[in-house]
Amino acid sequence: MTTAAEVMVRMGEFAVSRSPGDVLVSIGLGSCIGLCLIDRRRQAVGLAHVMLPSGGPGDMPGKFAPSAVPTLVDALQELGAVRTSLEAVLVGGAQMFSFGNAGAGRLDVGARNDEATRAALDAARIPVIADATGGNTGRTVRVLAGEPRVVVKEAGAGERELFSAGGGRAA
Amino acid sequence: MTTYSDLQIDALRELANIGSGTAATALSGMLGAPVDISVPNPLLLPLNEAVEAVGPVDSEVTGVAIGIVGDMEATVLMLFTPETSEVLCPMLGVEAHTEIALSAMQEIGNVLGASYTGALGMMTGLELEPVPPQAAHDMLGAIVASVLLAPGEDRDAVLLLDSDLSVEGGAECSPSFMFIPSAGGVDELLTRLGMA
Repeated sequence: MTTAAEVMVRMGEFAVSRSPGDVLVSIGLGSCIGLCLIDRRRQAVGLAHVMLPSGGPGDMPGKFAPSAVPTLVDALQELGAVRTSLEAVLVGGAQMFSFGNAGAGRLDVGARNDEATRAALDAARIPVIADATGGNTGRTVRVLAGEPRVVVKEAGAGERELFSAGGGRAA
Repeated sequence: MTTYSDLQIDALRELANIGSGTAATALSGMLGAPVDISVPNPLLLPLNEAVEAVGPVDSEVTGVAIGIVGDMEATVLMLFTPETSEVLCPMLGVEAHTEIALSAMQEIGNVLGASYTGALGMMTGLELEPVPPQAAHDMLGAIVASVLLAPGEDRDAVLLLDSDLSVEGGAECSPSFMFIPSAGGVDELLTRLGMA
């Protein structure tokens, strides 16, 4: 039995789905990264709400970039996705405030999250096919299983499509 | 998980109470209206739970963050709902939800942050200095998470001392005021209070 539902992926959590109609959501990503993995042929999707560039994994592997990628890959494979077919879409990694501690050559945590997530994807040989990262605005990401599709919404703006299996890829 | 005794929490709460009381007096002088303040509510939570404890992650807020540096590190975060901004901004002679409103709120943060830091330094004997405030208008989740995660390091728990200011004068106007010491900052404060 499949029931369609909106699944909230909170900070440090991850979720996967192959049920058409399911929507995986991370609300209010600031410096955090919404890491979306998609196998379009098998219509499988996953979303992790990554908080930090290093550390862990502890009891929350989705929290850290280095453990979030392999954890999400494993969960998708269990669901029938094929590793070599996986593609990534990245959302978030903004710098909402520029604190002094980002100085002296140190990147802010949003940029470090982005960098660490891309490095982990690179190590897993998963290409990033679309992204909305950096800048200084918060974002909400929705990953629609079945189609699959990724839409992003910034504060005070409308929802826009970042990736659609049907419509190719958007910027 | 990191824990503190009731006595330690009470001491930190009292510290935050005096700090935010001083800040409320500064705000009252700025607005020319009485400002009440609630006793700080201490929250000791894992990072991922702390954000949701502050408020609905998708609600729209203006956040002003003031860093405190020196002998210890901390952040003061003020949050203004759109309703609060609509009451507060005219009191400062600016129109709500404009660029200039954002700088007016940043200025509130400047004054309150400086008085808070001053009070904290006086009570503890620590050399503290406020960093110029930063303002952002966005989703609550994005703002609070970015402040908590700014050090870029994992910690098992974060301590938040949350108080509500309430500006008198008809409509609801309650900026929330949060003191967020770094992990080392909590220990430093407790040491100074002789309660480590």
